[in-house]
Amino acid sequence: MSIKKRELMALGLAAAATMALAPLAHAQKAAPKAAAPAEDIVFGASVPLTGVFSFAGIAIDAGIKDYLTILNEGGGVKGRKVRYVAEDTGYKVDQSMAVFKRITGQNKVSLYYADSTGFVKTVNPELERLGSVLMTGASFAKEISNADKYPMQFMVGPDYAEMVTILLRYIAQTKPGAKVALVYSDTEFGRDPVDAARATIKSLKLELATEIVTAPGSVDVSAEIVKLRRADPDFTIFHGYVSAPIPEFINQAKSLGLKSQFMGTFWSMDNTTVMKMGPAADGFLGVMPYRYYYDTEGKSPMLERIRKMRPEYQTSGYMQGFLAAMLLTEAAKRTLDNGNELNGKNMKLALSSIRNFDTGGLIGVPLSIKGNSIPIGRIYKADFKAQKMLPVSDWINLQ
Amino acid sequence: MDGWLLFEITLAGVGTGGLYALTGLAFVLIYKATKVVNIAIGEMLMLGAYLFFSFAAGLSLPIWLAVPAALLLSGAFGALVERSIIRPMLGESPISSFMVTVGLASILVGLVELIWTADQQRLPEFMPAKHIVIGQAFVSPKIFYGFWTAVLLIATVLLLFRYWRGGVALRATASDQAAAYSVGINVPRVFSLAWVAAAMIAGVAGIVVGSIGGISSAMGVFGLSVLVVVIFGGLDSVLGALVGGVIVGVIEALTGFYVGGEYKLLATFTLMVLVLMVRPYGLFGTHEIERL
Amino acid sequence: MRIGSAKQSYAADAALFDTRTQQAWALFGLLTLLAFPFIASEYWLYLACLVAINIASAMGLNILTGYTGLVSLGQAAFMGLGAYTVAILQLRYGTPLIVNLLAGGTVAMAAGVLVGLPSLRVKGLYLAIATIAAGVIAHFAFSHFAALTGGTSGLSVPPAQVFGRELDTTFELYWVIVPVTLLLLLGAANLFRTRIGRAFIAIRDRDISAEVLGIPLLRYKLLSFAISSFYAGVAGGLFAYFFRAVTPESFPLLMSIFFLAAVIVGGMGTVLGSVLGAVFMTLVPELLKIVVGWFAADGSATPVLAPIRTVVFGALIVLFLIFEPHGLAEMWRRARRVFHLWPFRT
Repeated sequence: MSIKKRELMALGLAAAATMALAPLAHAQKAAPKAAAPAEDIVFGASVPLTGVFSFAGIAIDAGIKDYLTILNEGGGVKGRKVRYVAEDTGYKVDQSMAVFKRITGQNKVSLYYADSTGFVKTVNPELERLGSVLMTGASFAKEISNADKYPMQFMVGPDYAEMVTILLRYIAQTKPGAKVALVYSDTEFGRDPVDAARATIKSLKLELATEIVTAPGSVDVSAEIVKLRRADPDFTIFHGYVSAPIPEFINQAKSLGLKSQFMGTFWSMDNTTVMKMGPAADGFLGVMPYRYYYDTEGKSPMLERIRKMRPEYQTSGYMQGFLAAMLLTEAAKRTLDNGNELNGKNMKLALSSIRNFDTGGLIGVPLSIKGNSIPIGRIYKADFKAQKMLPVSDWINLQ
Repeated sequence: MDGWLLFEITLAGVGTGGLYALTGLAFVLIYKATKVVNIAIGEMLMLGAYLFFSFAAGLSLPIWLAVPAALLLSGAFGALVERSIIRPMLGESPISSFMVTVGLASILVGLVELIWTADQQRLPEFMPAKHIVIGQAFVSPKIFYGFWTAVLLIATVLLLFRYWRGGVALRATASDQAAAYSVGINVPRVFSLAWVAAAMIAGVAGIVVGSIGGISSAMGVFGLSVLVVVIFGGLDSVLGALVGGVIVGVIEALTGFYVGGEYKLLATFTLMVLVLMVRPYGLFGTHEIERL
Repeated sequence: MRIGSAKQSYAADAALFDTRTQQAWALFGLLTLLAFPFIASEYWLYLACLVAINIASAMGLNILTGYTGLVSLGQAAFMGLGAYTVAILQLRYGTPLIVNLLAGGTVAMAAGVLVGLPSLRVKGLYLAIATIAAGVIAHFAFSHFAALTGGTSGLSVPPAQVFGRELDTTFELYWVIVPVTLLLLLGAANLFRTRIGRAFIAIRDRDISAEVLGIPLLRYKLLSFAISSFYAGVAGGLFAYFFRAVTPESFPLLMSIFFLAAVIVGGMGTVLGSVLGAVFMTLVPELLKIVVGWFAADGSATPVLAPIRTVVFGALIVLFLIFEPHGLAEMWRRARRVFHLWPFRT
């Protein structure tokens, strides 16, 4: 065969291949965006089912699923069922983005749960461009409180700065003029509330005894303990950690006979996490925006329902997911009640109209959503003998 | 300047340095024998900690059973890795064997996450909890005992190198592989020995580090700081691991206290760059002469 | 079967696509790239852009590690520098895309020269460890010069601006990312037809001999660092425009390891190797997701997906190093030989 003929054959094959591929790709593009029967409302989620945050991610996933089951059994949102589409992200921002793009590309998504502060920031411009999604997530970063910058997002609880403020108010009530030490990790998560904390300490006439920054991944904290011992605070607030190195700090401090009480923020407050710290955990304080699974004081019909559905202990992550689903679907319901189209702007307006909403006892007092956060929390104290976190204050509302 | 404060911080640094020295010892053993820069040393440490966790917390074995069991399994794992992954790479460039350990680190992290999930866990407490008092300075018990474990192990290794046949064979293989073969040393056996010993020592380090900071699948990042230690002390010097570890630990502690905890990593890595520029083979490392 | 192609001029001999078949395939490839964004779904478009960015960075690392033999674990740091430069320029000054990308590349290049200075004193693995230090120092700089870099919360990047038009969809970004990557690839391929490229290869093979032959070592090593970090800086700039947010945590050591793995798996010292390696390493997690989905359609296997991905990543590196040290490019070449020599066997 001459060279010319072979070239022509090759080009012909190539052209045929391209033409064969094209309809295939077209078919793939035409298939998605399937409108489900009776127009389901799609609830998408980037959940960290694996990775460093998996203990929370699995619980959040279960919480969302359970709430949506209850909702759909009761007829859904104005007769429309809510369909849950979630994928694992390993708590990595680019994975979360890929999942978001995939889910929104294949479905008409109205509600979304995001797994991290990084993702929430990255996806914000996309959210504004899409305009059809109302989003919440696992991040309580202060930046998200800015409703102008994050118009289609909100947080299911107080932001980290508000959490620390609730802790500081409790301190000011219990021991006016007390010495407070701040221990936080050198990460975005850890540094988030620090500036606000410093300002609040000043305004509440407390004393900032010392600030200790730990490098993420550092193992030994003996040098930091030396600092803490010299500062001898009345209260030590930890932020930016899940567990380590809090137990080591508390153990060493107690062995040294320091008088400080120890406090933590939301992600360190789950009952199992605290109790795993061992006997040193006894007396560990912290702020929790939600009731614990086993709470029986006060009226909480929803909590009792959860206990019936799930006989074993559910973590605070579960509560967070459950409440996120509750508030997101409530926003959707109110939007449809007002006769408006289900898009981000309308749903956010509907959300902001929530006043004295009863979460069925999951949050102890009726809540109102005025900004991007829900600054309500209660101080709990760990009772190691009872293996439970017990409330030691009223519900504090910063609004 | 408060003298006791400085002393206390230095002691804390020396203690942490002991942990670094222990992990550095494992690293140096591997490098000395097989000339492999094992970046997976942090992950091997993690494996030892998790094995101990399974035995002590999972199977509820008593401590004096759990520790040897965990170390034996770590050693077996070290032998397995040496046979399957390192042996085939023996003739290749050092970059290739380095990248193989990078791959190994990833595999270990994934395996740990598969079997034990990525959650943070705490090891059962088995060390005495009272602070040790030296004058007016307090030392945390865990790093106190960790430090002396490190010194003990390093002293043992140095003695073994001097007086035991296996130790001498290892030193011989380290200095000239071809000559070691020709005098009849079973070089592959030496390699296995080095990896098994290193894995066991990494296991000890893992148990100590884990009992201080808890265990998680991200524990391996400890290995990066150990890199600074072995560069400082010399990649193939056992004594260098101890001296380097202590010095790096003290510098870290002093930086953390007087400048701020967030500057610790910066300080140690800047130190490392300086050492690389001024004395690349470290304090006690052998100067490698390149021949054409 | 192709027996040989006779060349009648030096230019023809040194051409990148020297046979008619190769030129046809190159044309076909170009047409596919042109048509792709119109037929692909949003998700595949996203992946394509990500792959292109990774190809650009892997090519840079290949120039440094594959062609010059200087192992570097700091590629992520240089990408971070490029990304932050682009982010700061776009956020504060709103300068056009080209200016920002070039600025990002230049800043990264300057840093690359700085990091390359120890290569005068140390070699091989010691240099690799020094580059890890570069990553740590860069991370520190990103987190603590908060006034400039937004500190630990990072920066939100406004969309790229080309001739006054904002690019904020993946479709629009594709038309920036892919041509830039193609240009970078072409540049690299051409680099190794010049004296500079040959000097790099000589340094890799035996640097002392290269010096004896008259190649000034420090100058060329620094040049290699400079070019490689320029590529990383541009890739980092594209990263910033694509993800629209940069934080200090976006460029960890793991990312440098990813690129080194891509270069090794793909094939050190070849342009094709960079492309294949980057494509392979980026798409393997997606492929894994599909495979795991077959085994457990109800989603019960999702908790094990990420650890499996980590294990597979490590296993790929180990297996390629043991069984195919020259990487995917070598496997590709072998496959091509089979087709060239058919009906004869290789």
